[in-house]
Amino acid sequence: MLVLCWGINSCKDELGNIPTEEAEKDITGNWKVTQLTRNGENLSKRLKLENFKIDFNADGTYSIADDLPFVVSGSGRYRLDDPQYPFSVVLSPTEGKEEVVLKFQFPVVNGKRQLSLVMSLGCSSNTYQYDCERLNGGI
Amino acid sequence: MKKNTHYSTYIYWAMGLFLAIFLAQCGLKAISVVVPTAAKANQRVTFTMHCGAEPRIQGGGSYSTQLVAGIMVPKGWNARKNLTMSFTSPKGNGTMRIIPDSELEPVSGLSWHQAAKKMFGIGPNLVDDMEWIVFRSTQAYSFVNNEDIDFTVKAECNVGTENMLVSLGFYIGSSIENLRPEDTDYKKFTFSNAFEVTDGEGDLIDFINPQLGTVQPVKSLDNDIITLTFDGGVTNTVLDHESAVYLHVRAMDESGKLIAEIKKQTADTKLTDIGGKKYLIDIWPRGFFKVDKDRHIARLEYFYTDITGTKSVGYGNTDEPFKYTFRCE
Repeated sequence: MLVLCWGINSCKDELGNIPTEEAEKDITGNWKVTQLTRNGENLSKRLKLENFKIDFNADGTYSIADDLPFVVSGSGRYRLDDPQYPFSVVLSPTEGKEEVVLKFQFPVVNGKRQLSLVMSLGCSSNTYQYDCERLNGGI
Repeated sequence: MKKNTHYSTYIYWAMGLFLAIFLAQCGLKAISVVVPTAAKANQRVTFTMHCGAEPRIQGGGSYSTQLVAGIMVPKGWNARKNLTMSFTSPKGNGTMRIIPDSELEPVSGLSWHQAAKKMFGIGPNLVDDMEWIVFRSTQAYSFVNNEDIDFTVKAECNVGTENMLVSLGFYIGSSIENLRPEDTDYKKFTFSNAFEVTDGEGDLIDFINPQLGTVQPVKSLDNDIITLTFDGGVTNTVLDHESAVYLHVRAMDESGKLIAEIKKQTADTKLTDIGGKKYLIDIWPRGFFKVDKDRHIARLEYFYTDITGTKSVGYGNTDEPFKYTFRCE
């Protein structure tokens, strides 16, 4: 019994020491699209993905490669809807268009951080998912 | 302890056997449907399903359930907005209500509409732009043993604005049986013969017959990624003995004015051979035609050609181009 109490107390102490503050999500970097699905159909092997690149820069700007089908074109500014618990990245295109909200996930896949963006390019009935990895093997 | 395990095994076997007998001797009759051969665009049409119940309840008692019925129609009809269902039977007549999306079919964990699509598919249609819509009677009905009845379900909806040739799907089931894959007694479904919508907008959308040229997704805009498929197995064409197939395509604006034309046989216009005399090419129209930001492509006109561009196949194996209009509705 004494051992059990000691065990519980020690757990409490350990739990108390675990930091609960969530680290801020950092999506800055040069990203390349590694997988692209349309309405669940994987098009990655049929499309030339090598030029499908997105840059999220540290100064809060972004740029989309000319060859990449995307919900916006060109460049602009971006921010996350919540720095700690973000569900979306908000894009503000330079050319005066309204803000575009993109749902995203930020999992670690095979030891690498993956940026998954979900969007409709044209009709809202068509959903695309872009899975991206940082260029140059960065995590 | 071992003895108890033995007993529980017997009990499970007995329960299983009872369930098997119960299921095997109770159920619904085969479904038959009355579907007109054609209707005019936007016309409200009635589709009739005839079915029956054959309750064979072991050991007396009663069987109480709600009637479930569904139909599969093209998404473009927007039938969820105007579909109504009602039934007549010796046990009483009644109306039915759409099952909310939030209510999940227990076996699949999907909404009833998605579960029906997964279970029954799209039948003889070749292009998947269909949705199943499932209704349920507002009241439950009790059956006693051998209380066989025939009943009729009527589904009424508007047929949309587009010209098309399509096969429609029909389903009748029992609310307490759900959509179990192994069950063949409580879920009856069928698909209609060809149903045509006439006097509507655009070229005929043929869901049933194999097409020389198709575009996926069925609904898209010029910023979507679209897949153009050439099916050389549908009929004999001048491209039958060619080793490679190329795309010759024109982009037009709203007024029908030519924005750009791409007709060179290059790596960018070469279709990929996917076997079975089928070829496809994926294009992002805005990027493919390098359209200015303020211009929009309203439709495409295209042909499939050989490597020299001299042999060309158009719509219905004619000299007329295939046409594709960018639209979401």
